[in-house]
Amino acid sequence: MKLIGENLNIMSTKYGKALKERDAKTLQELAIQEAEAGMDWIDLNIGPAGKTGVELMSWLVPVVHEVVDLPLALDTSNIKAIEAGLKVHKKGRPLINSIMVRPERMEALLPLAAEYDADFVGLLWGPEGMPRDENERGALCADLVFKATGEYGIDPERILIDPIQTPVNVQQGQIMSVLEFMKMFQDIAPGCRSTIGLSNVSNGPPEHLRPILNQVMLMIWKRHGLFSAIVDTFDTPLHDIARGKRPDLEALVHKVEDGEPIDMASLSKEEIGYVKTAKVILGSTLYSDSWLEV
Amino acid sequence: MAFQPTKQVYSGRIREVTLGQGDKAVTIGGKAAYPFHTFEAEAPRPPRVAMEIWDKDPSADWSEVAQAPFKDVLGDPAAWAKKCVDAYGAEILVVQTKSADPNAENRSAAEVAEVVTKVVNAVEVPVVVWGVANHDKDVEVMRLVAEKCAGRRLAVSPVEEGDYKQIGAACLGYKHIVVASSPIDVNLAKQLNILLGNLGVVTQDMIIDPTTGGLGYGLEYTYSVMERIMQAALTQEDEKLQQPIIANVGNEVWKSKEANLSAEDAPELGDPEKRGVLMESIAAVDLLLAGADVVVLRHPESVKLVKGFIEKMI
Repeated sequence: MKLIGENLNIMSTKYGKALKERDAKTLQELAIQEAEAGMDWIDLNIGPAGKTGVELMSWLVPVVHEVVDLPLALDTSNIKAIEAGLKVHKKGRPLINSIMVRPERMEALLPLAAEYDADFVGLLWGPEGMPRDENERGALCADLVFKATGEYGIDPERILIDPIQTPVNVQQGQIMSVLEFMKMFQDIAPGCRSTIGLSNVSNGPPEHLRPILNQVMLMIWKRHGLFSAIVDTFDTPLHDIARGKRPDLEALVHKVEDGEPIDMASLSKEEIGYVKTAKVILGSTLYSDSWLEV
Repeated sequence: MAFQPTKQVYSGRIREVTLGQGDKAVTIGGKAAYPFHTFEAEAPRPPRVAMEIWDKDPSADWSEVAQAPFKDVLGDPAAWAKKCVDAYGAEILVVQTKSADPNAENRSAAEVAEVVTKVVNAVEVPVVVWGVANHDKDVEVMRLVAEKCAGRRLAVSPVEEGDYKQIGAACLGYKHIVVASSPIDVNLAKQLNILLGNLGVVTQDMIIDPTTGGLGYGLEYTYSVMERIMQAALTQEDEKLQQPIIANVGNEVWKSKEANLSAEDAPELGDPEKRGVLMESIAAVDLLLAGADVVVLRHPESVKLVKGFIEKMI
């Protein structure tokens, strides 16, 4: 599984400040760390970046590329800033993050993706907001792929569909719906790839319990054929899962997903935690903040 | 091939909780199947209809229609309570401690507790004391009420995440029942039950209030949350949610504008004599279908209608 490092983000206290102050050194240090951690892309999240977006992205891309060779994800809702980033992106293929399935976004950004031969994240967020179930996800996905490949001649391989990760503690059913969507994804969008904003699964639960939720969610995603995920560069246990270094735990989570009986008495404390977490993510146990204790 | 109806497999049961004491004690819960699914499993205990009274004269807040049946007793909570039981067949009585509200009258905890105690002593049916959902004030009032009514097995509500330690401890100390109240969110409902369990509140002393949205004001959200609680409790062996449910229906329905508009102000909404009662009854029936074990009602006509519904369904 490919990984997109999420840490270079305007919302971060440290790197947000560095972005505002054009502090190249701090940002380059992070870029080097992301490369060393094995990220496949570095996400450059500059926020909406109103008036300064063009200038900021034009500055940032070469600054990062001065120290690493990784392709960069241009992450902003500012269309002009995306275009500015595409112009100066000289190492590998840039990734536009993201294009929503809304007419005004697609009409502005798909031509850029075509012109610069960029990859792009196709976010399944439609004119009416978040899709309510797998069928609405399917419809949005079909609209986007049809338009991108048909009207703009974009190669399906350039498209990374993001079917939207929702938190486990509100409307758990949305997680089931997004997994259902993944089952039909290759039929709806042959040749397209996929990605997900993984950590949103644990947005809301207690901070110290977020890692295990992220890890188990990733195991489930892997099994559903997810191509890539946007992740914390410094979450090594999570990378281990992405790289298949915990087959034991993955097998356990698959058993939960398949509804196989599990003898809890034979498991270690760590394993029990993974089983319980898989059960809340997959909806066979109702989530509560104390899910590991009950 | 003959038609084969789908068979729901149940793996859990709602626990029983006994409110009050003596001959008039009421046990609720016990369901082993979805509400009124008597064709799938027996429901040992039908849902109950509680009536609410206020601890102060509500004339300024209530419409004519709601006041009419109680005209002679609105200024005397104890007499009002007796009337609910003797004349209108209330099986459980709810005292809403509205006079304690810091944003309104803000009566002292001592005054409120005294009125509540009078009400509790005036009736033999179980009493639920329902606060104003202000943590500081409810803690003050409920601590006193719990002490003054020690041993009567009152149910104390709402006990929320922000005050469960204090009110929960008072209930533990004086052997009352906790009504665990969460803001229309099934995950928070479960979490609060876990926290109360950690505090030492046993399952025989715990009822769930998932918070009621009135008809037109979020009823469907409450419905969904109750439905989900039922699914978790009865089909997913979620032992943290296998508690009976109470719904504070009358209070929510009658505070809506539509329940109280006069015929002149809203001719298109029909007869105001019937409108509020029907809104209250429909909301109660909906929540009974979703899984409520106790519905709290205001108007005697609604009580009659809802009791009639329950009799036909069991």
